[in-house]
Amino acid sequence: MASDEPCLIASKSAVRGQISGKQDLIVEGRVEGRIGLESHLTIEESGSVEADMDVAQVTVKGEARGDVVAARSAVLHATARVAGKLRAPQIIIEDGAKFSGTIEMEVELPAGIKAGGA
Amino acid sequence: MANTVIGSSIVIDGEITGEEPLTILGTVKGKISVAQSLAVEAGATVEADVEAQTVTVSGRLTGNVVARERLELKPESKMVGDAKSPRIVIADGAGFKGNVDMDV
Repeated sequence: MASDEPCLIASKSAVRGQISGKQDLIVEGRVEGRIGLESHLTIEESGSVEADMDVAQVTVKGEARGDVVAARSAVLHATARVAGKLRAPQIIIEDGAKFSGTIEMEVELPAGIKAGGA
Repeated sequence: MANTVIGSSIVIDGEITGEEPLTILGTVKGKISVAQSLAVEAGATVEADVEAQTVTVSGRLTGNVVARERLELKPESKMVGDAKSPRIVIADGAGFKGNVDMDV
């Protein structure tokens, strides 16, 4: 099975419901609902996603709202506007990106420092 | 204009709407409504009511189809449902069960 073919929601198209799969997905249009991918999700500048996302990797250049869990990394580019919960071992927020919500990186604190200060 | 493409490992449960051509290689359940063409490629499974300008089926489609211009069932395709379109082409080898309405 060819898993390298581009999978794209074009800019004037919309999906309402659940999307799941194993190949990379590029959203230039709109998605509402749930996204579960074992791969890379890219939300382009024209893209708008209102969904709970459970993915391996996410790159946001457009708009996203919802709970985001990325197994590997989440990158918010300068044009990104994101609201919700962001959870990933690696999170990158570029200068110019807008984010409101909570971030959880599963940080391992160095020895000698206890969680919650003191 | 870029096509919307639903890849072969992708499963969508819900509704797809759009103004771009739509190509499905994976699985879609629910409802599809597009302004231009819909292609259900070989290996794809669609269980949905469909409305489009032209519909070309090479895979499997279960549901009612309204194609404003043309519906084509390719040789290896299977379709179950009612078809409504002014032009309907069923190729040798295609499987079809349902009503046909060509608006005559």
